[in-house]
Amino acid sequence: MTDSLVLAFVIGVAFGFTLERAGLADAPKLARQFYLTDLTVFKVMFSALVTAMLGLFWLGRLGVVDVSAIYVPETFMAPQFLGGLVFGLGFVACGLCPGTSCVSAATGRLDGVAVIGGLFAGVVAMGFAVPAIAPFFTSGARGTFTIPDALHLPYGVVVFAVTLMALGGFMVAERIEARA
Amino acid sequence: MSTANIRTGRALAIIALMLGAAAPFAGSPYRSARGQVDVAGLAGMIAREEDHVTALELATWIHDRKSGLRIIDVREPAEFAAYQIPTAENVPLSQFRRLSVKPEETVVLYSGGGAHAAQAWVFIRAMGHRQVFFLASGLNEWIDEVMNPVASTPITRYFGGVARPEGSTSPSASTTADKVKQLRRRGC
Repeated sequence: MTDSLVLAFVIGVAFGFTLERAGLADAPKLARQFYLTDLTVFKVMFSALVTAMLGLFWLGRLGVVDVSAIYVPETFMAPQFLGGLVFGLGFVACGLCPGTSCVSAATGRLDGVAVIGGLFAGVVAMGFAVPAIAPFFTSGARGTFTIPDALHLPYGVVVFAVTLMALGGFMVAERIEARA
Repeated sequence: MSTANIRTGRALAIIALMLGAAAPFAGSPYRSARGQVDVAGLAGMIAREEDHVTALELATWIHDRKSGLRIIDVREPAEFAAYQIPTAENVPLSQFRRLSVKPEETVVLYSGGGAHAAQAWVFIRAMGHRQVFFLASGLNEWIDEVMNPVASTPITRYFGGVARPEGSTSPSASTTADKVKQLRRRGC
Protein backbone atom coordinates (compact mmCIF):
# COMPACT_ATOMS: atom_id res chain seq x y z
CA MET A 1 0.00 0.00 0.00
CA THR A 2 2.72 2.48 1.04
CA ASP A 3 4.84 1.43 -1.94
CA SER A 4 2.04 2.15 -4.38
CA LEU A 5 1.36 5.53 -2.74
CA VAL A 6 5.04 6.46 -3.02
CA LEU A 7 5.01 5.34 -6.66
CA ALA A 8 1.82 7.32 -7.29
CA PHE A 9 3.46 10.39 -5.74
CA VAL A 10 6.55 10.04 -7.94
CA ILE A 11 4.45 9.55 -11.08
CA GLY A 12 2.23 12.50 -10.09
CA VAL A 13 5.22 14.81 -9.65
CA ALA A 14 6.66 13.67 -12.99
CA PHE A 15 3.27 14.24 -14.64
CA GLY A 16 2.99 17.74 -13.16
CA PHE A 17 6.57 18.60 -14.12
CA THR A 18 5.99 17.45 -17.71
CA LEU A 19 2.74 19.43 -17.97
CA GLU A 20 4.49 22.55 -16.70
CA ARG A 21 7.42 22.07 -19.10
CA ALA A 22 4.95 21.69 -21.96
CA GLY A 23 3.58 25.11 -21.01
CA LEU A 24 0.25 23.78 -19.83
CA ALA A 25 0.18 25.73 -16.53
CA ASP A 26 -0.84 28.85 -18.45
CA ALA A 27 -4.61 29.23 -18.80
CA PRO A 28 -4.50 31.70 -21.74
CA LYS A 29 -2.29 29.24 -23.66
CA LEU A 30 -4.78 26.47 -22.98
CA ALA A 31 -7.69 28.70 -23.97
CA ARG A 32 -6.02 29.36 -27.34
CA GLN A 33 -6.66 25.65 -28.03
CA PHE A 34 -10.34 26.48 -28.39
CA TYR A 35 -9.61 29.36 -30.79
CA LEU A 36 -7.40 26.97 -32.84
CA THR A 37 -4.40 29.29 -32.58
CA ASP A 38 -2.25 27.12 -30.26
CA LEU A 39 -2.80 23.35 -30.31
CA THR A 40 -0.24 22.48 -27.63
CA VAL A 41 -2.86 20.75 -25.44
CA PHE A 42 -3.93 18.50 -28.30
CA LYS A 43 -0.34 17.69 -29.25
CA VAL A 44 0.86 17.05 -25.69
CA MET A 45 -2.14 14.94 -24.70
CA PHE A 46 -2.21 12.90 -27.91
CA SER A 47 1.59 12.37 -27.73
CA ALA A 48 1.19 11.11 -24.14
CA LEU A 49 -1.62 8.82 -25.21
CA VAL A 50 0.32 7.34 -28.15
CA THR A 51 3.48 6.94 -26.05
CA ALA A 52 1.54 5.12 -23.32
CA MET A 53 -0.31 2.98 -25.88
CA LEU A 54 2.82 1.94 -27.80
CA GLY A 55 4.74 1.44 -24.55
CA LEU A 56 2.08 -0.74 -22.94
CA PHE A 57 1.44 -2.71 -26.13
CA TRP A 58 5.11 -3.57 -26.68
CA LEU A 59 5.95 -4.06 -23.00
CA GLY A 60 2.92 -6.38 -22.80
CA ARG A 61 4.01 -8.21 -25.95
CA LEU A 62 7.53 -8.62 -24.57
CA GLY A 63 6.09 -9.98 -21.32
CA VAL A 64 7.32 -7.10 -19.11
CA VAL A 65 3.86 -5.74 -18.25
CA ASP A 66 0.73 -7.79 -17.60
CA VAL A 67 -1.75 -5.84 -19.73
CA SER A 68 -4.75 -7.75 -18.37
CA ALA A 69 -3.97 -6.39 -14.87
CA ILE A 70 -4.51 -2.78 -15.99
CA TYR A 71 -7.69 -1.32 -14.60
CA VAL A 72 -10.19 -0.42 -17.30
CA PRO A 73 -12.98 1.86 -15.98
CA GLU A 74 -16.54 0.77 -16.67
CA THR A 75 -18.51 2.46 -19.43
CA PHE A 76 -21.81 4.26 -18.68
CA MET A 77 -22.91 5.86 -21.95
CA ALA A 78 -25.23 8.76 -21.05
CA PRO A 79 -23.65 9.74 -17.69
CA GLN A 80 -20.16 9.81 -19.23
CA PHE A 81 -21.41 11.78 -22.23
CA LEU A 82 -22.90 14.38 -19.88
CA GLY A 83 -19.78 14.27 -17.69
CA GLY A 84 -17.67 14.95 -20.78
CA LEU A 85 -19.80 17.98 -21.64
CA VAL A 86 -19.49 19.34 -18.07
CA PHE A 87 -15.73 18.76 -18.20
CA GLY A 88 -15.49 20.55 -21.56
CA LEU A 89 -17.59 23.50 -20.34
CA GLY A 90 -15.38 23.85 -17.26
CA PHE A 91 -12.26 23.61 -19.43
CA VAL A 92 -13.48 26.38 -21.76
CA ALA A 93 -14.66 28.58 -18.85
CA CYS A 94 -11.43 28.27 -16.80
CA GLY A 95 -8.84 27.53 -19.45
CA LEU A 96 -7.68 24.71 -17.18
CA CYS A 97 -8.48 21.04 -16.65
CA PRO A 98 -7.97 19.19 -13.31
CA GLY A 99 -4.31 18.26 -13.94
CA THR A 100 -3.28 21.60 -15.40
CA SER A 101 -5.13 23.52 -12.62
CA CYS A 102 -2.87 21.81 -10.05
CA VAL A 103 0.21 22.68 -12.11
CA SER A 104 -1.05 26.24 -12.51
CA ALA A 105 -1.64 26.60 -8.75
CA ALA A 106 1.74 25.02 -7.95
CA THR A 107 3.47 27.61 -10.11
CA GLY A 108 1.78 30.37 -8.07
CA ARG A 109 -1.02 31.37 -10.44
CA LEU A 110 -4.14 32.53 -8.59
CA ASP A 111 -6.53 31.41 -11.34
CA GLY A 112 -5.16 27.89 -10.81
CA VAL A 113 -5.93 28.09 -7.09
CA ALA A 114 -9.46 29.34 -7.84
CA VAL A 115 -10.05 26.46 -10.28
CA ILE A 116 -8.86 23.90 -7.69
CA GLY A 117 -11.28 25.46 -5.17
CA GLY A 118 -14.12 25.16 -7.67
CA LEU A 119 -13.09 21.62 -8.51
CA PHE A 120 -13.25 20.48 -4.88
CA ALA A 121 -16.56 22.29 -4.34
CA GLY A 122 -17.90 20.45 -7.38
CA VAL A 123 -16.61 17.08 -6.13
CA VAL A 124 -18.23 17.58 -2.72
CA ALA A 125 -21.54 18.77 -4.25
CA MET A 126 -21.49 15.79 -6.60
CA GLY A 127 -20.87 13.45 -3.64
CA PHE A 128 -23.97 14.77 -1.87
CA ALA A 129 -26.03 14.60 -5.07
CA VAL A 130 -25.17 10.97 -5.88
CA PRO A 131 -28.08 9.40 -3.89
CA ALA A 132 -30.59 11.68 -5.65
CA ILE A 133 -29.25 11.05 -9.15
CA ALA A 134 -28.17 7.43 -8.64
CA PRO A 135 -30.56 6.01 -11.28
CA PHE A 136 -29.02 8.25 -13.96
CA PHE A 137 -25.53 7.85 -12.51
CA THR A 138 -25.58 4.11 -13.16
CA SER A 139 -27.68 4.07 -16.35
CA GLY A 140 -26.41 2.77 -19.67
CA ALA A 141 -23.88 0.46 -18.01
CA ARG A 142 -21.90 -1.39 -20.68
CA GLY A 143 -19.32 -3.03 -18.42
CA THR A 144 -15.66 -2.72 -19.27
CA PHE A 145 -14.56 -2.71 -22.85
CA THR A 146 -11.70 -1.32 -24.86
CA ILE A 147 -11.64 -0.04 -28.45
CA PRO A 148 -10.41 -3.43 -29.77
CA ASP A 149 -13.35 -5.12 -27.95
CA ALA A 150 -15.89 -2.63 -29.26
CA LEU A 151 -14.69 -2.75 -32.88
CA HIS A 152 -13.89 -6.50 -32.83
CA LEU A 153 -10.45 -5.71 -34.22
CA PRO A 154 -7.09 -7.15 -33.17
CA TYR A 155 -5.33 -5.03 -30.56
CA GLY A 156 -2.32 -4.36 -32.84
CA VAL A 157 -4.50 -3.06 -35.68
CA VAL A 158 -6.12 -0.52 -33.33
CA VAL A 159 -2.66 0.50 -32.07
CA PHE A 160 -1.53 1.17 -35.65
CA ALA A 161 -4.74 3.05 -36.50
CA VAL A 162 -4.45 5.30 -33.42
CA THR A 163 -0.76 5.96 -34.22
CA LEU A 164 -1.69 7.04 -37.76
CA MET A 165 -4.51 9.22 -36.36
CA ALA A 166 -2.05 10.89 -33.98
CA LEU A 167 0.62 11.54 -36.62
CA GLY A 168 -2.00 12.81 -39.08
CA GLY A 169 -3.49 14.97 -36.30
CA PHE A 170 -0.06 16.46 -35.49
CA MET A 171 0.51 17.37 -39.15
CA VAL A 172 -2.88 19.06 -39.37
CA ALA A 173 -2.26 20.84 -36.03
CA GLU A 174 1.08 22.22 -37.26
CA ARG A 175 -0.61 23.52 -40.43
CA ILE A 176 -3.38 25.19 -38.41
CA GLU A 177 -0.83 26.80 -36.07
CA ALA A 178 1.30 28.02 -38.99
CA ARG A 179 -1.76 29.64 -40.54
CA ALA A 180 -2.86 31.31 -37.29
CA MET B 1 10.51 25.86 -33.53
CA SER B 2 14.27 25.29 -33.77
CA THR B 3 15.82 22.94 -36.33
CA ALA B 4 16.98 20.61 -33.55
CA ASN B 5 13.43 20.42 -32.17
CA ILE B 6 12.03 19.68 -35.60
CA ARG B 7 14.62 16.96 -36.07
CA THR B 8 13.78 15.39 -32.68
CA GLY B 9 10.07 15.60 -33.46
CA ARG B 10 10.56 13.87 -36.81
CA ALA B 11 12.70 11.14 -35.26
CA LEU B 12 10.07 10.48 -32.57
CA ALA B 13 7.32 10.44 -35.19
CA ILE B 14 9.25 7.88 -37.27
CA ILE B 15 9.85 5.69 -34.18
CA ALA B 16 6.13 5.89 -33.29
CA LEU B 17 5.16 5.04 -36.86
CA MET B 18 7.50 2.03 -36.94
CA LEU B 19 6.28 0.71 -33.58
CA GLY B 20 2.68 1.29 -34.65
CA ALA B 21 3.13 -0.34 -38.07
CA ALA B 22 4.71 -3.43 -36.50
CA ALA B 23 1.91 -3.77 -33.91
CA PRO B 24 -0.67 -5.51 -36.17
CA PHE B 25 1.86 -8.28 -36.85
CA ALA B 26 2.99 -8.68 -33.24
CA GLY B 27 0.00 -10.62 -31.97
CA SER B 28 -1.80 -10.01 -28.71
CA PRO B 29 -0.10 -8.11 -25.89
CA TYR B 30 -2.02 -10.20 -23.36
CA ARG B 31 -0.14 -13.02 -21.68
CA SER B 32 -2.95 -15.47 -22.26
CA ALA B 33 -6.08 -15.58 -24.34
CA ARG B 34 -8.67 -13.24 -22.93
CA GLY B 35 -12.23 -14.34 -22.71
CA GLN B 36 -15.56 -13.05 -21.60
CA VAL B 37 -18.21 -15.33 -20.23
CA ASP B 38 -21.87 -14.70 -20.88
CA VAL B 39 -22.96 -16.48 -17.71
CA ALA B 40 -26.71 -16.45 -18.40
CA GLY B 41 -26.21 -17.50 -22.03
CA LEU B 42 -23.96 -20.42 -21.16
CA ALA B 43 -26.20 -21.51 -18.28
CA GLY B 44 -29.15 -21.55 -20.68
CA MET B 45 -27.25 -23.69 -23.20
CA ILE B 46 -26.30 -26.14 -20.46
CA ALA B 47 -29.90 -26.31 -19.22
CA ARG B 48 -31.15 -26.96 -22.77
CA GLU B 49 -28.37 -29.55 -23.21
CA GLU B 50 -27.04 -27.74 -26.27
CA ASP B 51 -23.52 -27.90 -24.91
CA HIS B 52 -22.68 -31.54 -25.58
CA VAL B 53 -23.04 -34.30 -28.13
CA THR B 54 -23.48 -38.01 -27.52
CA ALA B 55 -20.84 -40.48 -28.63
CA LEU B 56 -23.19 -41.82 -31.31
CA GLU B 57 -23.77 -38.31 -32.70
CA LEU B 58 -20.03 -37.74 -32.83
CA ALA B 59 -19.49 -41.13 -34.49
CA THR B 60 -22.10 -40.21 -37.12
CA TRP B 61 -20.39 -36.85 -37.75
CA ILE B 62 -17.04 -38.58 -38.26
CA HIS B 63 -18.65 -41.21 -40.49
CA ASP B 64 -20.42 -38.53 -42.59
CA ARG B 65 -17.24 -36.44 -42.78
CA LYS B 66 -19.10 -33.43 -41.39
CA SER B 67 -17.53 -30.33 -42.88
CA GLY B 68 -15.33 -28.29 -40.53
CA LEU B 69 -15.41 -30.96 -37.81
CA ARG B 70 -12.46 -30.71 -35.46
CA ILE B 71 -12.14 -33.20 -32.62
CA ILE B 72 -9.87 -32.19 -29.79
CA ASP B 73 -8.60 -34.57 -27.12
CA VAL B 74 -7.77 -32.48 -24.04
CA ARG B 75 -5.91 -35.28 -22.19
CA GLU B 76 -2.16 -35.45 -21.76
CA PRO B 77 -0.04 -36.61 -24.76
CA ALA B 78 0.76 -40.02 -23.19
CA GLU B 79 -2.93 -40.81 -22.74
CA PHE B 80 -3.66 -39.57 -26.24
CA ALA B 81 -0.91 -41.79 -27.66
CA ALA B 82 -2.39 -44.86 -25.93
CA TYR B 83 -5.82 -44.43 -27.48
CA GLN B 84 -7.76 -41.69 -29.22
CA ILE B 85 -10.97 -41.20 -31.17
CA PRO B 86 -10.20 -41.39 -34.92
CA THR B 87 -9.28 -38.02 -36.53
CA ALA B 88 -8.83 -36.36 -33.12
CA GLU B 89 -5.95 -33.99 -32.42
CA ASN B 90 -4.32 -33.58 -29.02
CA VAL B 91 -4.46 -30.20 -27.26
CA PRO B 92 -3.91 -30.72 -23.50
CA LEU B 93 -5.67 -28.21 -21.23
CA SER B 94 -2.29 -26.65 -20.34
CA GLN B 95 -1.81 -25.72 -24.02
CA PHE B 96 -5.31 -24.32 -24.50
CA ARG B 97 -4.32 -20.68 -24.61
CA ARG B 98 -2.48 -21.38 -27.88
CA LEU B 99 -5.53 -22.97 -29.50
CA SER B 100 -6.93 -21.04 -32.42
CA VAL B 101 -10.30 -21.94 -33.83
CA LYS B 102 -11.64 -20.79 -37.20
CA PRO B 103 -15.25 -19.51 -37.30
CA GLU B 104 -16.33 -22.23 -39.77
CA GLU B 105 -15.07 -25.06 -37.56
CA THR B 106 -17.25 -27.23 -35.35
CA VAL B 107 -15.22 -28.27 -32.35
CA VAL B 108 -15.93 -31.38 -30.29
CA LEU B 109 -13.91 -31.72 -27.10
CA TYR B 110 -13.42 -34.91 -25.17
CA SER B 111 -11.48 -36.16 -22.20
CA GLY B 112 -11.38 -39.43 -20.28
CA GLY B 113 -14.52 -38.89 -18.23
CA GLY B 114 -16.01 -35.64 -19.40
CA ALA B 115 -15.23 -33.08 -16.68
CA HIS B 116 -12.05 -31.70 -18.26
CA ALA B 117 -13.73 -31.45 -21.66
CA ALA B 118 -16.64 -29.57 -20.06
CA GLN B 119 -14.18 -27.14 -18.49
CA ALA B 120 -12.40 -26.74 -21.83
CA TRP B 121 -15.83 -26.04 -23.40
CA VAL B 122 -16.22 -23.02 -21.09
CA PHE B 123 -12.73 -21.78 -22.11
CA ILE B 124 -13.50 -21.96 -25.83
CA ARG B 125 -16.91 -20.36 -25.36
CA ALA B 126 -15.22 -17.59 -23.36
CA MET B 127 -12.81 -17.10 -26.28
CA GLY B 128 -15.89 -16.33 -28.40
CA HIS B 129 -16.27 -19.50 -30.46
CA ARG B 130 -19.87 -20.68 -30.74
CA GLN B 131 -19.81 -24.02 -32.59
CA VAL B 132 -18.32 -26.07 -29.79
CA PHE B 133 -19.52 -29.19 -28.00
CA PHE B 134 -18.09 -31.78 -25.67
CA LEU B 135 -18.57 -35.48 -25.34
CA ALA B 136 -20.68 -35.63 -22.17
CA SER B 137 -19.22 -38.80 -20.66
CA GLY B 138 -15.94 -38.71 -22.52
CA LEU B 139 -14.03 -41.68 -23.84
CA ASN B 140 -15.97 -43.97 -21.50
CA GLU B 141 -19.11 -43.19 -23.47
CA TRP B 142 -17.28 -43.64 -26.79
CA ILE B 143 -16.17 -47.12 -25.71
CA ASP B 144 -19.58 -48.11 -24.29
CA GLU B 145 -21.76 -46.75 -27.06
CA VAL B 146 -19.64 -46.91 -30.20
CA MET B 147 -16.78 -49.39 -29.84
CA ASN B 148 -18.38 -52.03 -27.57
CA PRO B 149 -22.12 -51.45 -27.55
CA VAL B 150 -24.68 -53.97 -26.36
CA ALA B 151 -25.74 -54.60 -29.95
CA SER B 152 -23.51 -54.11 -32.95
CA THR B 153 -24.52 -51.39 -35.41
CA PRO B 154 -23.06 -50.29 -38.78
CA ILE B 155 -21.39 -47.40 -36.95
CA THR B 156 -19.65 -49.81 -34.56
CA ARG B 157 -18.41 -51.92 -37.48
CA TYR B 158 -17.29 -48.77 -39.32
CA PHE B 159 -14.98 -47.92 -36.42
CA GLY B 160 -13.78 -51.53 -36.06
CA GLY B 161 -15.62 -52.11 -32.79
CA VAL B 162 -17.50 -55.24 -31.69
CA ALA B 163 -20.63 -55.78 -29.64
CA ARG B 164 -20.28 -57.00 -26.08
CA PRO B 165 -20.64 -60.75 -25.50
CA GLU B 166 -24.18 -61.84 -24.56
CA GLY B 167 -24.92 -61.15 -20.89
CA SER B 168 -21.80 -59.06 -20.34
CA THR B 169 -22.36 -55.69 -18.70
CA SER B 170 -18.93 -54.30 -19.34
CA PRO B 171 -17.19 -53.89 -22.67
CA SER B 172 -14.23 -56.19 -22.09
CA ALA B 173 -14.27 -58.30 -25.22
CA SER B 174 -12.12 -56.21 -27.47
CA THR B 175 -8.58 -55.00 -27.58
CA THR B 176 -9.94 -51.43 -27.64
CA ALA B 177 -11.27 -51.93 -24.15
CA ASP B 178 -7.93 -53.37 -23.02
CA LYS B 179 -6.13 -50.36 -24.38
CA VAL B 180 -8.20 -47.92 -22.43
CA LYS B 181 -8.70 -50.01 -19.32
CA GLN B 182 -6.29 -47.88 -17.34
CA LEU B 183 -7.72 -44.67 -18.74
CA ARG B 184 -11.22 -45.68 -17.77
CA ARG B 185 -10.33 -45.87 -14.11
CA ARG B 186 -8.88 -42.39 -14.05
CA GLY B 187 -11.98 -40.41 -14.97
CA CYS B 188 -11.94 -36.72 -15.83
